Amino acid sequence: MRGGQIVREARRRAGLTQRELAERAGTTQSAIARIERGATEPAYDRVRSLVAACGFELVPRIAPRDDSDWSVATANLRLSPDARVRQHQAAVRFARKGREALAGARA
Amino acid sequence: MPEPEFQPERMLQVLEEHGVRFVLIGGFAAVIHGSPYVTTDIDLVPEGSLENLERLSAALRAMNARVWTASEPDGIPFDHDAASIADVRMWNLVTDLGRLDLAFEPDGTSGYEDLARSAVHLEISGTRVDVATLADIIRSKEAAARDKDRLVLPVLRRLLGALENEERQPSSEL
Repeated sequence: MRGGQIVREARRRAGLTQRELAERAGTTQSAIARIERGATEPAYDRVRSLVAACGFELVPRIAPRDDSDWSVATANLRLSPDARVRQHQAAVRFARKGREALAGARA
Repeated sequence: MPEPEFQPERMLQVLEEHGVRFVLIGGFAAVIHGSPYVTTDIDLVPEGSLENLERLSAALRAMNARVWTASEPDGIPFDHDAASIADVRMWNLVTDLGRLDLAFEPDGTSGYEDLARSAVHLEISGTRVDVATLADIIRSKEAAARDKDRLVLPVLRRLLGALENEERQPSSEL
């Protein structure tokens, strides 16, 4: 994940414009825009200070890497939005039938 | 009463037939962006004008919407119009087409205008739908900070990174 994505998320969550964040952080609107669109990659401390200027704290966390769901997500990216919805519906219907079969077996 | 079958395409179609303006957000919107996590409800953010809420009220009537509570999962019938819908900022409903949640200001956002300005306009099963960007869905889930949101955020963030890389380098591998 890029630092610019974090800055944009914090800024929009705080309801600030790029110019307002720039004023709080003592920089320019164009500098914020460059960071957010990935034209420049800010250092970690810079991201943390911009997030703080939005009124939030950046909390880093190290977690075990798990690619199981990611592999499904990358397969989904190769489908059209329409196909993703159809696939999702098929999964929901299959799960419903499974629950009904399970309830029938218990009865 | 058995849980009604979740029919999101039909639900979106009914909303379109009634001319309701809204932005789709939440887990189902994330599915449209490629999320691998199954969800069985629709979350939407209605545009807040009384005219639009009147159309929404008519659409809810067509779907036989009831108020969902944990103790009344079949839903409690309720009378509604634009003003009464506007009075409550978050509705958990069950309809004949499945579960439907309405939020005027989802966590981490200021509502329809905030989300609509960057929403993507898609046609899903022949229905035109405004879908919140994945970045906005993540923003809202991060702010909501429920356990179920925290579980899906790592993959959604990776998806966002992959999609943005793809936009910058269209030929790159995901």
